[in-house]
Amino acid sequence: MTILDERLDATFAALADPTRRAILARLATGDATVNELAEPFDMTLPGVSKHLKVLEQCGLISRTRRAQFRPCHLERERLDAAADWIETNRRIWAQRFDKLEAHLRDIQDTSHG
Amino acid sequence: MAELTYTRVFDAPRELVFRCMLEPEHLTHFWGPAGTSAPLDGITVDPRPGGVFETVMINDADGGSYAMCAVYTEIVPPERIVWTEPGTGMITTSTFTDLGGTRTEVRIHQADVPDSFRSPEDQARFLTSLDRFAAHLETLVP
Repeated sequence: MTILDERLDATFAALADPTRRAILARLATGDATVNELAEPFDMTLPGVSKHLKVLEQCGLISRTRRAQFRPCHLERERLDAAADWIETNRRIWAQRFDKLEAHLRDIQDTSHG
Repeated sequence: MAELTYTRVFDAPRELVFRCMLEPEHLTHFWGPAGTSAPLDGITVDPRPGGVFETVMINDADGGSYAMCAVYTEIVPPERIVWTEPGTGMITTSTFTDLGGTRTEVRIHQADVPDSFRSPEDQARFLTSLDRFAAHLETLVP
């Protein structure tokens, strides 16, 4: 159903930025340090750190404390929750459209005889 | 800002498809997704900017219900209908495009309501519509 709770709201807001999506795509292939993440982008380390903070705050990534470089880790669960919501919403409209299609057929058949 | 778009082409004239999206007598036939129904007496349509658009979807299996309360912000027959759901912060735009013959494309675009839309007036209007909805529900329960 169309319920955007606060957590999903924050997730979608974080996903709305292309750089952050690229960072997530990179992390999907494995953990990475800030330096490694900054490399493909023409960005300063503080710039990348700012994006990482947004991703961390909404729970899309976590950063381990064990190593000096604090590698970033993708939290798939949160990403899945966002994907689930989109899928549910998509299905609702697909099913509505199916029913509307049948309804339009019915009323046009009737009106034509 | 999250955005989602759903498109479908229907074999029917645009005016008719537009009316289906705006008239309770039609909405009741398709508003509830599979496994649910949207009873006519649970649909309120006040087709003008600021007017309410309310539906109740009933789960056929367990009788559970889900209410949607929205407010129209734009109605341009037979081209466009826009409503917002102040409770969820969602803005839904339905666009109807005449593809010639009797084919019509319906495009549903959903996005978060910009913060500027979440004015005190919007909130008040939403609460009023909720009150009306509650009163409407009371008339249904003996």
